[in-house]
Amino acid sequence: MDLTPLVEAAQNSALSEWMRMSLKAVAIINALHIMSIVTVFGTILIVDLRLLGYPNVKRSYLRMHHELLRWTWGAFGIAAVTGVLLFMVNAVTYHRNTAFWLKMATMVLAGINMMVFELMTAKTAPSWDKGVPPPNAARVAGALSIVLWIAVIVFGRWIGFTKGYDFAIPEDVQFDFSLPQ
Amino acid sequence: MFEFAEWLGSTPLSVAIQSRLWLTPLLQTIHITMIGIVFVSMLNVALRVLGKVRADEPLAEVWHRFAPWFWCALGVMAGTGLILSIGEPVRQATALSFWIKMSLIAIGVASALYFGRTVSAAATAADASYSGRARVVAVATIILWLAIIFFGRSIAYDVEIWESWHLA
Repeated sequence: MDLTPLVEAAQNSALSEWMRMSLKAVAIINALHIMSIVTVFGTILIVDLRLLGYPNVKRSYLRMHHELLRWTWGAFGIAAVTGVLLFMVNAVTYHRNTAFWLKMATMVLAGINMMVFELMTAKTAPSWDKGVPPPNAARVAGALSIVLWIAVIVFGRWIGFTKGYDFAIPEDVQFDFSLPQ
Repeated sequence: MFEFAEWLGSTPLSVAIQSRLWLTPLLQTIHITMIGIVFVSMLNVALRVLGKVRADEPLAEVWHRFAPWFWCALGVMAGTGLILSIGEPVRQATALSFWIKMSLIAIGVASALYFGRTVSAAATAADASYSGRARVVAVATIILWLAIIFFGRSIAYDVEIWESWHLA
């Protein structure tokens, strides 16, 4: 499937144009993106560690899941919206960026891991909710989730350092990324 | 200050950091994962005061659950932040956001130290529900750490955010 027309339309949209011309929009949206993604990561990490039985299994898994994941999803919503906006600013180059696609693929894997866990392992949660070591399937899901979300952050940061260009810039070439005045 | 930053940027250590192109993204990634741990640790303690999480657990216990994570992650942040700053001292020193961030961190660390010292005595007295004042402090703490993240990201956009207030 060729996404190029869609990507070009996103980049040429009035909203995208406004964000590029505004001095502060990209900076503020970027900061909101970081604020929300670290909240996603931190809250998921607590639940994942609980799935690994760490630091202990004294507290109810289901209660922890219920209390924390609403913050995770709230933050994820903000991260998704700000992420789409940041993509639109420079859609054509991000669309060709390897780190961007690795980040998207890693998020899909994290989503699959979550769905497998929620649809299968989590059904048995009442039997290991508290005081007993979680089953191996829960441990695997927790460990995978930690690794995948760290990878999402790694690839996310990587995007910023590749600037959307997937080739080595020759040493004597100056690349000017600033906007035409 | 700027002369010091310029001198620091020319030292062999700074040049060594600058010349390893993989180092900055690696350190920034560690720095970002650590702020996730720092912020969410504080968030949990604040949400406990607001009665949103772990309402069955005494506040002092919630603090002791998260304090080691908070302090360890903060230590790693200080280390990675220091190396990043040595690698780009002029950019840091001329960024108003950097100085605001450092000031807010000083407030955040001082209040965390004070809270850690007083939580055991204060918490048992009023564990069931907290006063309006404690709730205001909890919300202010969440906002403070969010602001630290905001200004941390803004260092890279200092001219855009502050325009003529930028320090260069």
